[in-house]
Amino acid sequence: MRFTKAGLAAALAAGLALTGCASAGSDTQGQTSKSLTLGNVLAPATFEARNLNWGNQSIYFQAVYDSLLKPSPNGKDVEPHLATKWDYNADKTVLTVKLRDDVTFTDGTPFTAEVAAQNLLRFRDGTSPQRSKILDLADATAKDKTTLEIKLKQANPAFLIYLAQAAGMQESPAAFDKPDVKTNPVGSGPYVLKTSDTVVGTSYKFEKNPKYWDAGSVKYDRLTINVYNDATSLLNALRGKQLDAAAVGDNSILPQVEGAGFKLNGQNLNFAGLLLFDRAGKTNPALGNIKVRQAINYAVDTDAMMKVVALGRAESTRQVFREESHAYDEKLNDRYNYDPAKARELVKEAGYPNGVELTVPTSSAFPKQLWPLLQQQLGDVGIKVNLVDVGQNLIADLQGQKFGLSYFTLQRDANEWQLISNMLSPTATWNTFKYQDPKVDELIETIRTAEGDARDKALKELNTYIVDQAWFAPWYSQTLYFVTNAGTNVELNAGNAWPNLWNITPKA
Amino acid sequence: MITFIVRRLLTGLVLLAAITTLGFTLLYLGGGDIARKILGENADEQTVALKAQELGLDRPVFAQYGDWVVNALGGDLGASWFSGQPVAAAILSRLAVTLSLVTGAVVLIAIISVTLGVLAATKREWIDRVAQVIALLGFAIPNFLFAVALVLLFALTLGWFDPTGYVQFTTSPSGWAKTVTLPVVALALGGIAAITQQVRGSVIDALRNDYVRTLRSRGIPARRVILKHVLRNAAGPALAVLAVYFVGLMGGAVIVEQVFAIPGLGQVAVQATTQGDIPLVMGLLVATGIIVIVFNLLVDLAQGWLNPKVRLS
Amino acid sequence: MTNLAHSTDPQIVTAPQETAKVSLFRRILRNPMALGSLTFLAVAVFCAAFAQFLAPHDPNTSVISNVLSPAGGENPLGTDGAGRDVLSRLLYGAQFSLAGALVALATALVIGVTGGLLAGYFGKWIDTGWTWVISLLMALPNIIVLLAARAVVGPSLWAAMLIFGIMLSPAFFRLVYASVSAVRNELYVDAARVSGLSDSRIIARHVLTVVRAPIVIQSAIVGGIALAVQSGLEFLGLGDIKVPTWGAMLSDGFTNLYTAPTLILWPALAIGLTLIALTLLANSLRDELERSTGPRKQNRRKPTKPQPEAAAEDIVRHDEREPEGEIVLDVSHLSVGYPTPDGGIKRVVNDVSLTVRRGEVHGLVGESGSGKTQTAWSILRLLPEGGKIVGGSIHFQGKDLATLSEQEMEKLRGRKIAYIPQEPMSNLDPAFTIGSQLVEPMRICLKISAREARERALALLARVGIPNPERTFAAYPHEVSGGMAQRVLIAGAISCNPDLLIADEPTTALDVTVQAEVLDLLRDLQSEFQMAVILVTHNFGVVADLCDRVSVMRLGRIVETGPTRSIFADPRHPYTQELLGAILSEAEPRGPLVTAGAPGQPVSTRSASNQKGAVQ
Repeated sequence: MRFTKAGLAAALAAGLALTGCASAGSDTQGQTSKSLTLGNVLAPATFEARNLNWGNQSIYFQAVYDSLLKPSPNGKDVEPHLATKWDYNADKTVLTVKLRDDVTFTDGTPFTAEVAAQNLLRFRDGTSPQRSKILDLADATAKDKTTLEIKLKQANPAFLIYLAQAAGMQESPAAFDKPDVKTNPVGSGPYVLKTSDTVVGTSYKFEKNPKYWDAGSVKYDRLTINVYNDATSLLNALRGKQLDAAAVGDNSILPQVEGAGFKLNGQNLNFAGLLLFDRAGKTNPALGNIKVRQAINYAVDTDAMMKVVALGRAESTRQVFREESHAYDEKLNDRYNYDPAKARELVKEAGYPNGVELTVPTSSAFPKQLWPLLQQQLGDVGIKVNLVDVGQNLIADLQGQKFGLSYFTLQRDANEWQLISNMLSPTATWNTFKYQDPKVDELIETIRTAEGDARDKALKELNTYIVDQAWFAPWYSQTLYFVTNAGTNVELNAGNAWPNLWNITPKA
Repeated sequence: MITFIVRRLLTGLVLLAAITTLGFTLLYLGGGDIARKILGENADEQTVALKAQELGLDRPVFAQYGDWVVNALGGDLGASWFSGQPVAAAILSRLAVTLSLVTGAVVLIAIISVTLGVLAATKREWIDRVAQVIALLGFAIPNFLFAVALVLLFALTLGWFDPTGYVQFTTSPSGWAKTVTLPVVALALGGIAAITQQVRGSVIDALRNDYVRTLRSRGIPARRVILKHVLRNAAGPALAVLAVYFVGLMGGAVIVEQVFAIPGLGQVAVQATTQGDIPLVMGLLVATGIIVIVFNLLVDLAQGWLNPKVRLS
Repeated sequence: MTNLAHSTDPQIVTAPQETAKVSLFRRILRNPMALGSLTFLAVAVFCAAFAQFLAPHDPNTSVISNVLSPAGGENPLGTDGAGRDVLSRLLYGAQFSLAGALVALATALVIGVTGGLLAGYFGKWIDTGWTWVISLLMALPNIIVLLAARAVVGPSLWAAMLIFGIMLSPAFFRLVYASVSAVRNELYVDAARVSGLSDSRIIARHVLTVVRAPIVIQSAIVGGIALAVQSGLEFLGLGDIKVPTWGAMLSDGFTNLYTAPTLILWPALAIGLTLIALTLLANSLRDELERSTGPRKQNRRKPTKPQPEAAAEDIVRHDEREPEGEIVLDVSHLSVGYPTPDGGIKRVVNDVSLTVRRGEVHGLVGESGSGKTQTAWSILRLLPEGGKIVGGSIHFQGKDLATLSEQEMEKLRGRKIAYIPQEPMSNLDPAFTIGSQLVEPMRICLKISAREARERALALLARVGIPNPERTFAAYPHEVSGGMAQRVLIAGAISCNPDLLIADEPTTALDVTVQAEVLDLLRDLQSEFQMAVILVTHNFGVVADLCDRVSVMRLGRIVETGPTRSIFADPRHPYTQELLGAILSEAEPRGPLVTAGAPGQPVSTRSASNQKGAVQ
């Protein structure tokens, strides 16, 4: 294996010419043929519209499907898409939606209100992880070819944003029962999945939908999304200029990514810290004691954690709501300043002079350096931590109420109601012990229907209350990065790890 | 000959049955809440229960295994729980990738090991030392360290090869070469070390055979005797070791594919096993089992060709 | 599958003799490479055993203010990504990593050795059962099994290593199985069985001793593999975060590869050096073992067999008339030597001179180790490895073979000088047909076409008395009898009309009845082609039968030389007398053609039967 320099250059050039379109050096490509290659940390679990997930997988579905509404980059508001107009009735339980009449699926089936109704109901009755969000959907019916009527069991302030996410995705009814529906989507979206070139789980290739109704919004002819299981190979792909843009899951590689000429576009998406689920003390009476929960909040040197675990790429916070939210209160961040002495005192006051023993699950999904530090710091204030590795079963074990508390990172949705339904309400997925507090219930009911100042006030009150009650022990909000090369622009999507596909554009 | 092959294939089938039963039991014991794992952190308990029902996970293990066996015998290996892709398609599309890595490594190992081993055995001087050093390094450097070093040097610093991914040969031969070269080298190092030693040893052994002197006494040049007669006789033992090593290469591919983000069987194996994607893992066990069985059969047939004395009847 | 479990293993080494083994470990200590490896391993084990006392800090204590601090002060090697002391983790890492590897090794040993002993010794269904289980293990890809097992039992280092040990057990099984089945039917095991020893005692006393040393070697290798795989698992992120191992440190080093590159250095060094030490140890053990027993194939005719060198003495020369005919070969003052371990040269042929004329058969007689075969090989310039002509000359058709280049020699071999070896079976390449082995040299030497060579070969086969030349031509060596094979070798030797034929004990390995036929054939051919022949033998009967002149060799020197008739009539050197005496005293009482019986002494039996026709 001996190369002369010239021979090597020639071979390299030949290779580039042949594989050219896949490479990121797309400045050489003319306007006529643009391609975009993205790096992701997750593959889609399924393309079947009624079982779609969101978050890191959203990008795949925005490529092949259209949703009824478009999420605004602020993450709270919605814009017209397949739906052009929408109105609630007075008590916000009936939503009337006007749909476009010029859309057909790639298999030729026309898009109608009847199809939209079917898709919505199928989603509600499917097994999507997002399904719980639209359980308030009572019925969806087609009033005429372009008018859809949606009935809700009760008012849901986040329902419109859900229609802009997984629940609103529209699949051709002809594909509903096709055997390969999970891997061969038929939608009306801007791109078509090229199944022949796709390696499921690793590399997804899309081509522009030639008959797309909104052709002007499609900026690339070809789209490739590669999946990287570990940070090192993602870094290698970026450094090797194999990608135009990528969502980075592990911030430790960022200095090298930046060094390779990528722009770091960050947003403080998730909060990281301890989730104190067992607020009633079912598994461990100590957790039912507010003083112990507060002691846990005081015991952790969150600034140090931020530096070591989040590598400084985070912002300190004691709240689960986003900074721009009406619930957010700057002053609450001083509620639990690092104070081990006070924490020790609180543990004693709570009636545990000999300390408390807690069992905390560990998982390889989180940074390794976290666990010894956590054990150390809680141990210093008299809270002995037993670590139990649960491998891939972490979420199942948490949902199965096997652990009263856990380190976790949860997405802070921009829409407050969405966040409440995910973390705080008695039925929320991440209120794993389904803990209920009359005051919280009352505030949530107010927020459901109130508007304006009344709503904002209730939100603030709710936030203050759960911080005081130490429902959580948030340490900081992690900055999540979407990195782009010099030829690519992006507008991030508040509250989601991935920007909207149409917000990734070539630089002029 | 035919009866031999048939008998071997039947033994293989029994073996395959044992492997799959073992695999299924293991996976079931360690499965955990698979429906939850599929749906992730956002799903509520009710949806998880629905999903479990949909996959038939609420049925007794024996019934599930029975279903799997019946379907598998009918050629249907089911679909992955985590991607929805049919298992047969998932494995076939990745098999080519892994096989091109493993075959590449076997070819590389064979060429380098035979050259180096024969030189070391016949010249016995500095080249022997070189072979020894390579063997030592090959054994002492874990292949993932070597792989990472290769990426850093040849892909990221020199830019000669692609650091990640895989391009199909049919799509672009040069792209294929740029993606497979480093993984093949990384995969081959350990094998080169082991097989070179073996070739050296069996060539030294074969050189001590009386017929070597006799053939040379007939005027056949030493080089020709070594390349034709000694090598053929030394190939048997080396091939036996290579056969054993082949299973190791399939395992080594797991790590190498991880480092280079190559969509092969190894990558899918790590993912599927850690996730608990039982249909996919079972498919993988069947596929690797068949590959190993067929490979060993081929090795035995080759042994018969190399050594007429054990030629199979 | 079945024979995969029994296929040859590179690590299988010849079973050493009991006596050789006693000194093996003493010799190991004198081998610098082995000593170095052992020292390093001893240090590592010492660190592992006393990590508690050696380590400056607890390996799991994190100091948050101290993350990734450089070397020096409190932390001689700095701290890792969680603020833990690197030196302490390295020391404790030795403890856990080595213990983990040991768990795997012990498991593999127990399963593999027990299985190999039982299956190899008892055979039958135990054999079938174990072999099947081992084949199953070998057909499973290790990593996948480990991944699946991890899902079941959780991320335990010990469980993973236990399971990996099971996966590695075939390495020992195959080793033990092969050795045990080989010795199972040895005479001494039968004897032990007859003398009433229990199976377990036999296994312990006779069988286990045979495989002890190879097991030690294999252990070093398997231990190394276990350590490497252990760190590989950690690399895949499948380690146990609570246990400080070198692999875990490596993994931490990867995470901080760009921020703190030295973190990866220490565990990589520890793992790499341990693996190197284990490999070197295994290699030197094997080398020492091979040195002590000698390679299998050379046992029969080991050139450097310790023999006293005979002091120079006067050669007894029988008076003779100056013989007629041109001198074909003139060897004068030939010495052959082999290097000794201490750098000297051990002479196995000393000051040998002899001449052979066209049409003459010159017998070279002596006991084994007398240097006659070495003399023959040195004329062909085909001495075993290390052997050199250290003095004298070999004149053949105007050239000195002692100094001729290898290329020149290659042109002479086959064409001018041919060779008939002693043992027919081992001198045919088992992998090629007899025909192809006859055709190949003819095509090279005579530069004839394949068809011509084939015709010639068939004619030759017929000429040497093979009844069905076509069939023998297409046969593989193992398909013909020893006598046939020897005829084939004779056909091969004369295929290119050589001027000088060197026959090295051409009949020794053959059945008595066949011996006579082969000798007759040789005699016919010799007179037909008028070749000069050197006949190496220890059999005076053969000498009497064929030779014109005889040289008696003892301890590398010629002690007596002269015409056959004269030496038989009047042996003067005591050694010659002794040799001749041995024949006569033993042979007389037995009648001719005692084909059965006394397998150790076909020589004397044969010679007696030849006496009648000996004197022409």
